[in-house]
Formats: sequence, C-alpha cells, structure tokens
Amino acid sequence: MSELLMVIIGGLASGAVYSLVAIGIVVIHKATKTVNFAHGGFVLLGAFAAYLVVVKLQWTYWAAYLIVPVLIGGLATGVELAILRPLRKADLFTVITATIFIGIGLSEIYRLSYNTEILAMPKPIAGAPFFFGDVILTRGQLWVAAGALTAGFVGLLVFSHATIGRSMRAMASNVRGATLCGYSVDRVYAIAWFVGGALAGLAGVFAGPSKGISPDLAVAMITAGFVAAVIGGFDSLRGALLGGLLLGLAETFAAAYVSSAMKSAISFLLLFVVLLWRPDGLFSEAKVRDV
Amino acid sequence: MQDERKHGCPWFKGRRTFLGAALAAVAIFNAPALYAQQGVTSNEIVIGALGPLTGPFAFIGAPGRDGMALAIDKINEAGGLNGRKLKLVFEHANTPAESVAAAKKLVEESKVFALVLASGSTGAAAAADYVRAAKIPTYNIFGATPIIRTPFAKNIFHSAIPGAEASGKSMIDEVFRAVPNAKKIGVLAGTYAFPQSHLKAIREQLATRPGVEVVVEQFDAASREFTAQLLSFSRQKVEAVMVLGSFTEAGFAIKQAPEKGLPASMTWVLDASGVNDAIVAIVGGENTKHLHGYYNIPYFPTQVNDAPMAGFRKLWIAKHGNPPEGRPNLYDMVGYGATYVLGQAIKNAGPNLTWDSLIASWEKLSEAKPSALGGFDVIYPETFSATDRQGGRRLGSAMIVDGKWKVVR
Repeated sequence: MSELLMVIIGGLASGAVYSLVAIGIVVIHKATKTVNFAHGGFVLLGAFAAYLVVVKLQWTYWAAYLIVPVLIGGLATGVELAILRPLRKADLFTVITATIFIGIGLSEIYRLSYNTEILAMPKPIAGAPFFFGDVILTRGQLWVAAGALTAGFVGLLVFSHATIGRSMRAMASNVRGATLCGYSVDRVYAIAWFVGGALAGLAGVFAGPSKGISPDLAVAMITAGFVAAVIGGFDSLRGALLGGLLLGLAETFAAAYVSSAMKSAISFLLLFVVLLWRPDGLFSEAKVRDV
Repeated sequence: MQDERKHGCPWFKGRRTFLGAALAAVAIFNAPALYAQQGVTSNEIVIGALGPLTGPFAFIGAPGRDGMALAIDKINEAGGLNGRKLKLVFEHANTPAESVAAAKKLVEESKVFALVLASGSTGAAAAADYVRAAKIPTYNIFGATPIIRTPFAKNIFHSAIPGAEASGKSMIDEVFRAVPNAKKIGVLAGTYAFPQSHLKAIREQLATRPGVEVVVEQFDAASREFTAQLLSFSRQKVEAVMVLGSFTEAGFAIKQAPEKGLPASMTWVLDASGVNDAIVAIVGGENTKHLHGYYNIPYFPTQVNDAPMAGFRKLWIAKHGNPPEGRPNLYDMVGYGATYVLGQAIKNAGPNLTWDSLIASWEKLSEAKPSALGGFDVIYPETFSATDRQGGRRLGSAMIVDGKWKVVR
C-alpha cells in the first residue's frame, strides 16, 4: 500500500509539470489556432533562466518564480510579433514548420550560450522528507506538485474568467465575430503568446531541479506536453490539466507494475487508445450537435 | 641459338655486365617488398583514422584525433619509426553509413597503410564487415561493441576499451569489494545498445555466483525520473545497485533514491559513462561517498598531480592551446596511448613493412606502452597474442575524492 501511494505521488509530481506545459500549449492553440512546437524550447529557456537566477546570481527561487515567467512570456510575445505575425495569413503547414524551427533555434540559443552536457540546480526547498509510515514524501515533490498545479489552475481561471481571458475565448470561438466586437487580433494574439510563454517558463522553473537542464529537456517537455494535451482534448484547458496528471500517473504505474522498460511505450499506447476511442480527447469542450 | 651459346647471351658479355644486371635484378625484385605496400614509402607511413568530429559524439572522435596527432608529432620529432615519419589522415564519420564510406575512402582512395577506428561502438560496428574483408590492419580504439570483436579477425586489434564481459566483471568486482556478502544486487540499465550488452554480460556472470539474486530495472535514454525502478529496489531490499547508463541518468537515479526509501549508505557502482565529474553537481557533493566505478585508463583526466598526466596535459596544451571544459578527456588519452602502441608494432615489424609483417609484429606485443617510444603512460600496457586481439584488459577502480573522480586502484 505504501508503495502504491509513493507511485501515485511520483506520478502526480511528474504529471503536474506536464499539465503546466500542456496548458501553455492549449492556451496558445485555443486563442490563435497555432500548434506551437516551439513550446519545449520555451520550457528549456525557462529552466536555463532559473539556473542563471538561482545559481549564477544566487537569488532565491522566489525571484525565479517571479522573473522567469515574465521573461519567457516576453520572449514568446517577441517571437509572435517578429516571426509568426508576418506568417499569420500563411497556410497551416508553413506556421507549423516555423514553430518547429523556432523550437530548434531556442534550444540552440541555450546550447551556444552554455556548451555543457547538463546543468544541475539545487532543490527548491531543503529539509528532511515527511514520513507517513513507510510512505516518504519529500518537500520538493510536494512543492512541485502543488506549485505546478496551482499555477495551472491560475492559468485556467485567467482564461475562463478574467477580462484578458474573455478576449482570448472570444478569439477562440470566432475570430471575425471577436473582431467585430472590438477585440484586436494583434493584441489578443500577443496576450495569448505571453500567457503561454509564461506558463512554459514557469514549467521550466519547476522542471529544472528535478530533470536538469540540457537540450533533451525541450524534447522531453514538448513530447509530454503534446501527449497530455491530446489526451485531455486539444481545446480544453481542464483537459490539459487532467491529461498531464493522467500521463504522469500512467508512466509511473506502467514502469512500476508492467515493466520499467515500457514506460515511454505505455504513455504512447495511451495516446493512441485515446485517439482511436475519443479523437477529441477525454475532456474535450467541443460540442457535437446532430443536425 | 648455337650462335648465342657460342657468344653467350648479349646481356652477360662480361663479368661487369653480369654484376650490374644482378644488382639491377635484386633491386627490381626487392623493391616491391620494400615499398609496394600501400601507404608506405621510403620515408613515410600513412595512417588513416575515422571518427565523429561534429555532432553528439564529437566528444569521442575529436579528442581521439587530437590525441593521435599529439603522439604522431612526438614520434616524428624523435626521428620516426625505422626512418619513416608517420602521417595521419583523419576522416569525419558520424553515422554508420558515413563510417563505412570513410573506411572505404581511406583504404581505397587515400591508400592508408593501417586504419584506426576512433569512433564509438556504432561506427566500429558499421565498419566491421568492410575492414574484415579488406584485411587492412585495423585498430579499434574506442568501440566496445561485440560486432567488431566476433567473429575473430586476424587484422583487427582492440585498445583500452574492452568488451562488455571485462567491464561487466569489473563492475561486479566493485560491488563485492564494497559489499562482500551481497546477496541481492540491483541493476538499473538503459534500454539502448551499450547498457543492454553490458546487462547481458553482467547477468551471465552473476548467474554463476550461487546465492546471488539480481533485480533488473530499466529506463529509456535520457530518463530523469526513476520512481518505479527505485521503489522496486527498495521493496526488494537490494544491497547495491549497478547503473548502466550515462552520468546524467545515474545522477538523477542516485539523487532520487533516498526519497524512494533506499538507504543513504547504498552502494552504487557506475559504468565508465557514469564516471564523470559532472555527476557530483547532480547528486550533491555530500552524496558521493558510496559511489564506485571503473575507468579504462590509470588516470582520470583531472589527476594532474600524477606525473604521466601532468606531462601529457602539458604536451596537450602546447599543441592545442588552453583546453575547453572537459578536455583533454578519456578519448584524448586513449587516442594518444594507442598511437604509441601502434607505433611500437610498426617499429618491431622492421623496415620491410607490409600488412603481414605488421600483424605478425603486433600480435607479439607484450606490455606495450607509450614510454617504450618516449611517450607518457596514460593508458594501461597492452598485450596481444595470435588468438587474442584485445590489448587492454585492465580497468582501474574509481571513486570520488574531494568532489572529483580519481582512479584509486
């Protein structure tokens, strides 16, 4: 029983970071209809920025949690403004290709500026773990799971209830209608990229200490984030949140009770099952009407 | 005809003419034996080498090339080998297809005398069939793959990186040195090629030890999360864990272990990929007391207080300038040392240098080391025989001392 609980805790801690990445991907997709393959690159730069703040500048993690999302959000807005805005009228293939290569470019920025195999970060919270019988719960796990999930919920609430969220929802629903209602496409797209980028940066701050910082991080995060978003439903923030948790749990359960060599395979199997069974995802917000 | 008999052959009219003709014949018939072998002239021997100079495995090929160049410079400065200078032709090869193409180019176009495979296992495995068929003397200096080792080929020799059986044995020895009565041993292995060949060798060897149980858990390349695997080790109460994977994978597993119920005093034995100073930053300096590993050469690159390493490093800096982070590395040193071993084989083959004479001299090398030709002994001595082409078998025992890996035995 204690082992089962520890498997669940481990799965939730991984899944919470996946959720945060997936929410960022979905926010950008919902508001701008852009599938952002550069998201992993933003996560990597978020982790790298956190490293600079915490290790190089010797500031606290709190500074990283506050500064990095703003920095990466600003970077994402800049990318939208400089590269994707001119491509707005291009076909989907062109835009997707652009985001793929933006992602590679972002990873290269890291590689060129810090040519080392991996950067390690200290734990965000020091102190002895909590023991509940045989169950061990570390402060780091608790912090990452709770922090990433809280950030995800905040992102979800902003999109669902805040004024800036309303503009993004309007754009997601109908671009022409939203424009006629006075919403600026440029402004809403910039906001969406800022929010998506900020969430990616925050995911990087949470992921850095547990996963280390290397170009692999971008690939690992974009893969997990996309799988989580597809499982949850690519148009559903709630789905992205739950999809990330489900993916984290599935990976850990598969490794623990099926085969440790099957960890990745099981998560992709889950993806294909969901795509075949419910192509819109498990928690899709799309409404189907019989006409 | 009768007339010819009477007067003799016009070529042999006088004693002087006969002597001249005889000398010419000797020169003509001996010339091919001296100089017809490709890549060998009266004053030069061309050595070809291939390996990755760019890309993710550039940390293998580029140091290999630099180490070889260092040794060749010094051998040439000392007068060369039997009056001939060495010349290195290095071809970049990253993928298996590039490795085969590079080997063919070196042998068939550049006409090198001997070939050095300074690539990892992937390149060595890819070029294996070609070099076997070409029969060119070949020195596999970095590849641990069994594909280049079996079936046995008379022309292929191996340097300081032994096959998985030898390194697996070394890891098992490390475990039992740290936990002499271990009955349950965990093995955490990557699902990719090298860890899997290592895993097979370790499983086979542990199966011969009565009363020892092995718990195997696996992970994908670049994994950072080991909850399930560590919980399994914790549940089964393993007494030591061998990690077959990179230092990043090993580092994150070791870092997470106490959170999953494994004791802080757990013994961890890493393979050579894990024996990297960067692991210290991942696991934290305070958690390195129970880390063990093996190393293919007698000195870790940072052991600059030991005389051979200090000399080698000085030489390296004189030729290549101030080293970037992580250089010179294992591959610089093996490239350097292996070139001296090859040089020793060439020297012993004598002036009449052919592929056959080189192979014959190479397989007689015993305890060959760089200092025999004036170099620094940064590799273990290599010994070959007519039936065994693995020169380096010895592996050093490594531990972390003052935050840095050190070869202690």
